[in-house]
Amino acid sequence: MRMEMFSEVVAIFRRWNTKLLRQPIFLFFSLIQPLVWFLLFTQAFSAIGSIQTPQFSFASLTGTSSYITFFTAAVIIQTIASSALQAGIGIVNDLDSGFMDKMRVAPIRKSAILFGKLFSDAISTIIQVVIILVIGLALGVHIASGILGALMILFIAATFGIAWSGISLFVALTTKSSQTTLSIGLLTTFPLLFLSASVMPLQLLPSWVQQVAKVNPFTYIAQAFQNLVIKGFIWDSIGYAFIAILIIGVISLGASILVFRKKIS
Amino acid sequence: MDNIIVVENLSKTYGKDIVAVDGISFQVHKGEIFGFLGPNGAGKSTTIKILTTLLEKTSGKASIDGLDIDADQAKVRRIIGYCSQEVGVDDDLTARENLMLQCSFHHIPKEKARSKVNELLQKVRLTEAADRRLKTFSGGMRKRLDLASSLVSDPEVLFLDEPTTGLDPQSRQDVWEYVKQLNKQGMTIFLTTQYMEEADRLADRLCIVDQGKIVAEGKPNELKTTVGADKITLSFKVGDVGACEKAAKALSNLQGVEEVGKCVMGLTTEEGLTIMAKNGSAVVTQIVRALDGAGVEPEQLKLTVPTLDEVFLKLTGKTLNVIERKEAVRGGRRGMRS
Repeated sequence: MRMEMFSEVVAIFRRWNTKLLRQPIFLFFSLIQPLVWFLLFTQAFSAIGSIQTPQFSFASLTGTSSYITFFTAAVIIQTIASSALQAGIGIVNDLDSGFMDKMRVAPIRKSAILFGKLFSDAISTIIQVVIILVIGLALGVHIASGILGALMILFIAATFGIAWSGISLFVALTTKSSQTTLSIGLLTTFPLLFLSASVMPLQLLPSWVQQVAKVNPFTYIAQAFQNLVIKGFIWDSIGYAFIAILIIGVISLGASILVFRKKIS
Repeated sequence: MDNIIVVENLSKTYGKDIVAVDGISFQVHKGEIFGFLGPNGAGKSTTIKILTTLLEKTSGKASIDGLDIDADQAKVRRIIGYCSQEVGVDDDLTARENLMLQCSFHHIPKEKARSKVNELLQKVRLTEAADRRLKTFSGGMRKRLDLASSLVSDPEVLFLDEPTTGLDPQSRQDVWEYVKQLNKQGMTIFLTTQYMEEADRLADRLCIVDQGKIVAEGKPNELKTTVGADKITLSFKVGDVGACEKAAKALSNLQGVEEVGKCVMGLTTEEGLTIMAKNGSAVVTQIVRALDGAGVEPEQLKLTVPTLDEVFLKLTGKTLNVIERKEAVRGGRRGMRS
């Protein structure tokens, strides 16, 4: 039984990887988008690095006075969130094309259909994050935690990507509309990013935003990334990131599988 | 006759008051082609989706080869194949990749899968196009691949939901041929269609459905005889005065003839005769002989047998005739059949 489940996931996983590699446009955009983010935001907001308030300075709070170094985490999170959208879109496409029915009639597990897709999306997330890190290095970002830290960043990115994809899967399976899936994804990404500690250290945010940021999972993922880039392995923040990933993952993926198991037309 | 599909009182209601399938019961015999003929919205797809475990029924019972579609869902999936109306193939993959993927869904070992795929590609004449991505395929090629992909597991029952809707005439013929071949090898086939010609040609037995209900069931020929007799139309040369009367007299007592009536022929105002008979083709020779005996020479003789469309018309008061789309489903290029 376990072996069958494994081979089902592998079959679906390989299908999506093949599809991914046959879209050269994807690789192009995964190169362009972080570049745009890096250049636009860090150029426009480079002065943030030298912020000094009566209580804090940006440098003392974050450990760096380079905004681009700090901002690397935000670029990664933004990329994960937009790539997580793809999970839902892919599922809706399969529902529309009739391919989903073909899979559902075959003797394979529903969860294999979802996890095969999620693991393939994790691969594309890893590719994209590697690209971001390379661009970051080229722009002068130094990763304090070294190569092992970079691997940790990739691991957090992949697992967070899988958990976050669950939300888009859930929306896709309940609405069966790629429009809705796309809109909800795009509409939530930006507010969540700016209402977290991704673009600005927590202490420099207005107090109401701080309250929101403290319950916003993006904050914990961002802080883990920021620490790995700026300071090195700070295990507390890595631990918080994984707790956030676990909570989101269990809820979003659990709900998706439940919806998917019900027979849909 | 063994029944392989048994459906009892099956219903499907969407929301509160949209009844898609309204308490239908029927049996499909092992090894036959069973047709479900009806217009759009008759409940054909809903029925096929319930039987293929894709859709939850509202009430009733259904089993395939003795397996309950709910309780034994997993086992049912192992013995059925399904081709949806939408053509469930992946356009980013090649034909071979699509089939290999289906094999892995059915847990067929790699080596066996490879030879199976080659065999299927040959069967549906896609060997040359096997390693091309589906983006370049015509509608007919995609449908043939779809058909092949539902055969990887050698299903006992194959469900085809409107297998030729949107196909060009040649592709339609191809699909009919494959379906017949598969059936000859012993596969039971359940197909839905809105084309009476398709049902007539393929189905051993069929149900005519309308608004979620079965309005008639039987062999195509049986159903056609229920609407009445064959019609023979005779016309006579212009100016052949009295020919019509003479002929009517000679034919009215002929054995097998049920009714002789006068009619006005086409564009001319000349009179002709319509003769209703139970077994038209057998009666025709007698008619010719009788006319000869009476010294009347007909100009034209036409035999029309009733179609399933007339059956449908009689039962529902509507006509089945659909305006057929000429182009293939996805605007695939024509003339690319290999």
